[in-house]
Amino acid sequence: MKVNLLIFSIILFPTLCFGELFLEITKGSEDPYKVAMIPFEGNSRLSKELNSIMQNDLIRTGEFSILDEELLLPIQIIDDELVYNDWKLLGMDYLVTGKIIKTDNSLDINYEIYDIHKKRKIRSSKVFGIPNQIRQLAHYTSDGIYESITGIKGIAATRLLYVNEIKDSKSVSIYKLMLADSDGKNEKNLLTSTEPIISPSWSPDGKRVAYVSFETGMAKVFIQDISSGKREAVLSKDTQISSPSWSPDGKYLSLTLYQDGNAEIYILRLRDRTLTRMTKQYAIDTESSWSPKGNKILFTSGRSGSPQIYELDLRKLNPKAKRLSFEGSYNAKASYLPKEEGIIFVHRADDGLFHIALKYKKENFIRILTEAKLDESPSVAPNGNMVIYGIKEGDLSMLAGFSLSGARFKLPASLGEVREPAWSNFLR
Amino acid sequence: MKRSLNTFFALSTLLIFVGCSSLQVTEESVANQSVAGVSISSKSTATQAVLANAVVYFEYDKFNLTAKSIQALKGVSDLMQRNSKITLSIEGHADERGTREYNLALGQRRAESVANYLISNGVQRNRLSVKSYGEERPLALGSNDSAWSKNRRVELK
Repeated sequence: MKVNLLIFSIILFPTLCFGELFLEITKGSEDPYKVAMIPFEGNSRLSKELNSIMQNDLIRTGEFSILDEELLLPIQIIDDELVYNDWKLLGMDYLVTGKIIKTDNSLDINYEIYDIHKKRKIRSSKVFGIPNQIRQLAHYTSDGIYESITGIKGIAATRLLYVNEIKDSKSVSIYKLMLADSDGKNEKNLLTSTEPIISPSWSPDGKRVAYVSFETGMAKVFIQDISSGKREAVLSKDTQISSPSWSPDGKYLSLTLYQDGNAEIYILRLRDRTLTRMTKQYAIDTESSWSPKGNKILFTSGRSGSPQIYELDLRKLNPKAKRLSFEGSYNAKASYLPKEEGIIFVHRADDGLFHIALKYKKENFIRILTEAKLDESPSVAPNGNMVIYGIKEGDLSMLAGFSLSGARFKLPASLGEVREPAWSNFLR
Repeated sequence: MKRSLNTFFALSTLLIFVGCSSLQVTEESVANQSVAGVSISSKSTATQAVLANAVVYFEYDKFNLTAKSIQALKGVSDLMQRNSKITLSIEGHADERGTREYNLALGQRRAESVANYLISNGVQRNRLSVKSYGEERPLALGSNDSAWSKNRRVELK
């Protein structure tokens, strides 16, 4: 692609803010794909809404720049040599057209993608939905566009979990476990409590969540079904239980149990609730996280005298923990990238500040990816291209994200603090 | 296509090869997204009277007791030995730096340090309950040394 230094610093405030999070795109990548999006035919109000959601989705990835609507060419026939040349003169790489088909009980979208350089149609797709699913239809469409152009699955139709803490007039905290689309919109409340909620974790199918709630006066892990709201404590033991992580096949939860007088990692088989102890150490062992194939877990241990990241190979009998982090005196809360090509974690730098860092398996150094002071809780998108994490600006915590291609965005809340983001798996 | 709410998703991908160029043709339905929210309000804190209200402070990333905190705990163990009916809830806390789960474990270690001290001074284990709030319940707000030092603590209730 062209070497075109296009760093834009735009703030997009959607006109319809019915969620509590506001997306701010603060930086795009330096060499984006240039796409012209013709407003979709059909209902013009829906077309406008659809267009704005899709543009947001694509720009947020940092890999796209969308042609201003005023600059669009009036076109009749697209598959025409001359028309392709006109788009080429405008510097476009791709063109997207589409149609909205609305009936009383259905809302469908047909869309097509044209490669301007190759002068041919590269995709023709249909997405079927019902009338109140415009946002979701838009996300599916943007994911189709993203995948056709980049060859990587899009994450617009994925969802986020996070915790929102709101203080009332008497400074008493209310904690809410929230669910939203990947753009922070379509917010839903899963749980409201007067006691802290931490460490939300998705089931791999996106239908259930596990989290730590202090509602009994002590940290306990609960599982909750998203559509029914049915919830239960995973174990009835009288001990602190925390740090749940779902195995990729959905059959196990790794947990931290405190019954041995110290934080130790266990694996819970959900079918019959049998527990297998994985660590036996005088030091703290916690923050377990499964590998994408489910054959290894990462965890944080204080066994060397400071928190460091270790890996356990579950295929071995009595596996020995292998230390993965060596740089710096604090490395914690690690998770694998989706192809296991590296790990993302919290790193304390020499200046005493906490940042999100990345270490590729093949490299013997770490890459520090963020620059605030108290960055925490990184969660990797299922396509491995984006990371969402918690930051603190002044005394306020909010969510922030970056793509590995260099784009950045923030998701502050209109009310209170937001933290502990967890990115879902692909839901399509 | 049938539009049942139970249709979680249907996706079909078809690749049509025309010469050397390929066209991707897909059809899919968006997923049903029903959500049920739950509201809980926890029981009011135990009505147990606060018998001792010593607070023990810790160094950054540490869970060992300092000479000063041992002085404060001597009074607590004396009180527990004079009155065998007293039970204690020992709550560990951490400052906001570092990860939440590691801080939960660190708070637990701090609470265990206090419990172990009391046990070594003759207090029975079954009179003590140990737990941690990690960094979730700061006493002092703010991201500075003064607030952090107040938050790295164990409370006895």
